[in-house]
Amino acid sequence: MQYSSIFWWTILWVVSWGVIGGVVTRKVFLRKDLDTSNATLGGSVIGAAFGPIGLIPLWVRVPEITRVMITLSSLVVIGIVAAAFANADPDNNCVSNGSFVASQVTNGLIIGIIYGLMALGLTLIFSILGLVSFAHGAFYMVGGMLVYYIVNVWFPGTHPLIGVFGACVLTFMLGAIFERLFLTPMYDGRVERPVEYGILVTFGLSFTLTYLVAAVAGSNPVKVRRFFDFPRIRLPDASDPWLIKTSRGNMELFDTVSISNPRFVAAVLSILVLLGLLFFLHRTWTGKGLRAVSQDQDAAAITGINPNRMNMLAFSLGCMIAALSGAVLVQAFSWLPIVGQIPEMRSFVIVVLGGLGSLPGAFVGGILVGLVEAAGTGCVPNAQKASSYIPAYGMIILTIMLLLRPMGLFGRKFASGAHGKF
Amino acid sequence: MNRQQIPHVLGALIIAFFVAFPFIYSAGNYDYIMHICIVGFFYAILASSWSMLAGYAGQFSFGHMAFMGLGAYTTALFCHYLFLSPEPTGICTEFAIAGQYLVIKNPIGVTSTTLTQDCLAQAMESWDGSVQITRMPVWLGIILGTLVGGIFGLLIGLLVLRLRAAYLALFTLGFSEILRATISAEIQVTRGQAGIELPSLFENGITVAGHVFSKTDKIPPYFVMFFLLLGCLALLYWLSRSRFGLFVRALREDQDAAAALGVNTTRYKILVFVVTSMMAALAGAVQAHYVTIITPNNLMILQMSLVVAMAVIAGVENFIAAAIGAILIEFMLEMLRTSFSIGGVEIDMSLWRLVFFGVLLMLTLRFARNGLLAPVIDYFRRGHVAAETVEKRASDAVDDSKNSPSQTGSHS
Repeated sequence: MQYSSIFWWTILWVVSWGVIGGVVTRKVFLRKDLDTSNATLGGSVIGAAFGPIGLIPLWVRVPEITRVMITLSSLVVIGIVAAAFANADPDNNCVSNGSFVASQVTNGLIIGIIYGLMALGLTLIFSILGLVSFAHGAFYMVGGMLVYYIVNVWFPGTHPLIGVFGACVLTFMLGAIFERLFLTPMYDGRVERPVEYGILVTFGLSFTLTYLVAAVAGSNPVKVRRFFDFPRIRLPDASDPWLIKTSRGNMELFDTVSISNPRFVAAVLSILVLLGLLFFLHRTWTGKGLRAVSQDQDAAAITGINPNRMNMLAFSLGCMIAALSGAVLVQAFSWLPIVGQIPEMRSFVIVVLGGLGSLPGAFVGGILVGLVEAAGTGCVPNAQKASSYIPAYGMIILTIMLLLRPMGLFGRKFASGAHGKF
Repeated sequence: MNRQQIPHVLGALIIAFFVAFPFIYSAGNYDYIMHICIVGFFYAILASSWSMLAGYAGQFSFGHMAFMGLGAYTTALFCHYLFLSPEPTGICTEFAIAGQYLVIKNPIGVTSTTLTQDCLAQAMESWDGSVQITRMPVWLGIILGTLVGGIFGLLIGLLVLRLRAAYLALFTLGFSEILRATISAEIQVTRGQAGIELPSLFENGITVAGHVFSKTDKIPPYFVMFFLLLGCLALLYWLSRSRFGLFVRALREDQDAAAALGVNTTRYKILVFVVTSMMAALAGAVQAHYVTIITPNNLMILQMSLVVAMAVIAGVENFIAAAIGAILIEFMLEMLRTSFSIGGVEIDMSLWRLVFFGVLLMLTLRFARNGLLAPVIDYFRRGHVAAETVEKRASDAVDDSKNSPSQTGSHS
């Protein structure tokens, strides 16, 4: 870092105008009796991007803050920060090495897809039960562990995909049983504060599952072999700057981007599951029923959808999705009983970023978080520090998002009932 | 004796028991049992303050351990980096204060060799024992830690004003994770996972009533922690009986209605955060000086789960139950530690006990919503209320029918 002081001054400038913009714009909009749902977020990104030049016209004219304005200003903010960073540290890999950047972005996208899938389960549970499941990370861990047990311990020699399928079935059942036993009092007012009850009881489940697995499986990390090998390809043939080259465990594109096999397979499986899920939610009666309940429980009940059954389905489906994302990733990472904690936090970040209860939001949020983490690990000069800070990047996003726009990027503007309460 | 007085008498007996305990107990595992007691008191402070925050005010915060860690790390850094010296070292950052020099040691992080020395060690080598430096007093570090906990409680309280329920839980969890990641990552200053060492609570021993206690004696920290717990409980009791207690309970039941009835919700929400986080920070600072080392693992979600589980199993809406429950559960967890084997299968109890604990937590939540201990206390304290009400209604009905039979008739 040669000119690091310039970088920090820029950050300070951006942040302070962002804070001023966020606080004052909300006040201005409140005084003029306008819709303030976008005011804090809009004010702060406009302030951060353009400083007083952007803010004063905003306060004078008080236009409706549109999505385009927010997106443009956010891009400007990212541009300013990136330019300051490039100026401060010109030798950094992120600035000088184009292929490194391409590789980081690709890997961020790939891992982001898997994050998005996991967060989708959480947001599905929230949109229907109005419950933030603190057992999501535990189900992620259990999913991976079950694949290991099926493939390596119980039935050695089975194909891992069968293991993944088995893990899905078992966790779906586990989720359904737990929902029937412990979550039913939430629905009919038998508990005074259902949201807190739900948080605590899933917290208890997470605790139990984590230590149950630790007691059964021990504390040594386990690993499952690669699901598939890449076929050996080299295209186009024999010409030196190849477009695509694969070995069994790795794939290289355009001589620059390197993707490891387990992650690629996991991402492809995630996309397949995602397409299946979209089909289920939009084309089948049950899926439509689920979405109907998420919009309005009472109206859905009137049209003949049993909300009780939908609650059970949504919870077990959400748990199954968490387990599935663990099951496809068990080939990429070594697996421990505590492995679920960081993905769980990340899912919280993603669903808050995308909007609690918004399905497309979860997916977009997943990709954003994947990219931010890739940038964070790749660009921070001190590599050791950067890896220690990985859990914090997401949490910083979460904190900022909760302060600026608690309903998230894609959250409903006017939500009703328990779902819209925050 | 009236039934209502049983909890008071029992409470006095429990206090008397804990005061007398270190002097009457004399088995071989004395130090171990005393250690469990001290840790139990520590968890009792955390669980009871968390029950004030979550049970009374309805703010389900998962960042309570972070405040504990803030207190502990503040005093750790304070005692680790600041020293008083009568002579200037010339190499460290130092300020002259009242004839002494306040020396700030330079952070050197974790070094495996003794080749790298911090500036103070170098200076002392050059002085060759001619200059005596003094540590900063431990109590000042603890006070500072408590204050830092309070300041962060204020900030967090301000930030979460608009957040409710699930969002609050996520935000506080985020705060706690950021803090843990920062402490683990800034190895230069906090020594990361290696942990930072602290002087013990009474570094030079202490003399009470003619008896000299060395710094490894368990009795002084036992009483420090015990009286801290009593102090915290007294403060919580006073708060819960005052307007503050009523207002924060109103906040829990319905924030908007409370605001409409003239409760300054902003002020009380922030206040309850400040008070409880200061208690957590205080407990953390004292505990850190007692165990003389603090690592970021103390801020892990497991620790938070323990506090939550203790409070919930005992009864989250009663901080005295939470405190007693924390001590009982800490004892239970320690007693269940011994592993055994059935039919050649080794049962690792250090993990299975936590499984049982988790199951107990879920079952308590599901089937005994007010916890296991709080209803017992309520039975004695408020059990007569139902009978009295029935009696009063019956006598009122008799009075009504005696005094105004015509009116009753006209009403029907």
